[in-house]
This record gives sequence, C-alpha cells and structure tokens, in this order.
Amino acid sequence: MSSDERTGLYVESTIIMTTVRLVAPFVLTFALFVMFHGANSPGGGFQGGVIAGSVVMMLAFAYGIDAAREWVDVRVVAALASGGVLVFAAIGLGTILLGGNFLEYHLYEQFVSHATAYGIELVELGIGGIVASVAIGLFFLLAAGFGHAVDSPEGEN
Amino acid sequence: MSLSLIEAVLLVFVLGCAIGAAVLRDVLAALMAFAAYSLGISIIWVMLEAPDVGLTEAAVGAGIMTILFILALANTVRPQENGLFEPISVRTIALVGAFVVVMLATVPSLPAVGADGAANPVVSGEVTQYYIENAYADTEVHNAVTAVLAAYRGFDTLGEAVVVFSAGVAALTVLRQEVFA
Repeated sequence: MSSDERTGLYVESTIIMTTVRLVAPFVLTFALFVMFHGANSPGGGFQGGVIAGSVVMMLAFAYGIDAAREWVDVRVVAALASGGVLVFAAIGLGTILLGGNFLEYHLYEQFVSHATAYGIELVELGIGGIVASVAIGLFFLLAAGFGHAVDSPEGEN
Repeated sequence: MSLSLIEAVLLVFVLGCAIGAAVLRDVLAALMAFAAYSLGISIIWVMLEAPDVGLTEAAVGAGIMTILFILALANTVRPQENGLFEPISVRTIALVGAFVVVMLATVPSLPAVGADGAANPVVSGEVTQYYIENAYADTEVHNAVTAVLAAYRGFDTLGEAVVVFSAGVAALTVLRQEVFA
C-alpha cells in the first residue's frame, strides 16, 4: 500500500530531470565550498553537510525515490556518519594523548605546519559527513515510512 | 529605531507566514507558510549581519525540514476538510497573547540593532572582544564564528555532532531499519 503511494508521488518530467542533471554538480561543489571555506567565509560543516545531502534529495525528486535509493550505497552513508564522529573525536582526543587539552590543535604543529587551520578543516569535514549522511538517511527512512516496520514481525530485525 | 522599507516588508511577511502556519487548516498549506517563514527569517539574519545563522536557517529550516515534513505528510492520510482556517478558541488567543506580551516586555532591555561601544554590552563584552582580537592568532581562521565553533567551543560542537549522529541512529531504531536507505 505504501509503495503504491510512493510511486504516486513521483512524476517523471524531462524538465526536472534535465535541470537536476545540470544543477546537481554545482550544488555539490557549492556544498564542498561551504564546508572547506567555512574558515574564511560564512558556512561550515553543518551548512555544507545539509547542502550536500540535498543533492541526493534533488536526484530523488527528479528520478524517483526508489531509483535514488538503489543508486546510493548504504555503506558509504554509514561510513560517512560514523567516520565523521570518529575523525572529530580522534582529533580531539589525540591532543590529550600528546599531553595537552581536548582539541588543542597547535600540539599537532610538530607533525604538520598550520596544524590548527588543517585541524579545523578536518573537523568541519567530519561534521559535514555526519550531517549529510544523517540528512540522506532521514530522507530515505521517512520516505519508506512505517510500512516495513509494521509488516515485519517483532524481533526479526 | 527606524526600519528601512525592505526590513519592514520582511518583518510583515515573516509575521504573516508565522500566523499562517499556525491558523491554516490544510496541513500542506501550513507547511508552505512555515517554509516561507524560514526563508524570510534567513534573509533577516543576513540583514542583521549573521550570515552563518542565515545560511543554516535557509538550508535546514527552509530546505531539509520542509522536505522531511512533506515526506511525512505523504505517508499519512490527509483529511479533506472545508474551511480555510482552523477554528481558534478565545482561550488559545489569550494564552498566546499573554506569551507574546511577556516576550515583548524583554525587548526594551536589548541593545539597539547596530549599537556600538558601551551601549551594546554584547559587542563590548570581554569575551566578544577576546574572540575578535585573538581568534586569528589562536586558530588561523578568519571567520570568528568558525573559530568559536571548532576551536574555543570545540567540545560543545563534538556534542552537537554526536547529537545529529544519534538522531540518525534513533530514527533507524524507531523505524526498525538496519541501513540508511
């Protein structure tokens, strides 16, 4: 029943498909710009991550949610979400191992120059990964609805 | 405090959208009013020189939230009802009105928009001045907001990032799914 509703949501339109195909690379580039350039202009990981996630939603809008679901690799989404948390926590805890406080970036100066700038950049990328993957995940989960959950028996998951 | 024309128009637009989101009977219409409200507020943030907040409001409030709400709506049954507006009880108006009065009572104690120096304790405060003077030397980033977010208040930000991550995990758990797709 829910799958019927979902196919009813999708309208195949050449105009939308062409527009999305044209715009999507630029939106993804803009998302990465917002993430990388957050140090010197408005933006950062949270905003860039949401914009990156919206690329997948645009594709779903143009080609249908089920097509987008098949195209997106769930392992990449999961890796981005948990990888982001791990990167952030590792950078933060690493400075404690080096004898400093949490996120005391300049302690990495002994390994790389401009460690603080690069450290902040990596943290922003980690946040971007978390936000983008969770946004994509919530989108697909909500699109699927409770249909699967109700159909599958208790304790089978 | 005088308002420019565009500020006045934006404020009226945002106020109208907010009231529309509250009183419109059709859920989809209320949702659209809510999205328009977010977009208007994000422009106001930019005009108040808070582009970071404006970008977040536009991307999250007007963008992702609207999409997620529409998806949730598509998975529910929308009753066809007549009448454009929700019937509003006097008690609700009294309660909301009282709340608005309480909130408005705090407005006179805020510094004027754009006020500088001693007239604006937010700008002249010790912490703000420290960030403005030392952010670049300490963190090598020009955007002081990023410096506070990723360096000075980095531990809080780790918490926020984990909250987003947990929200995803919680959604998986509630919907009894194992993968994000």
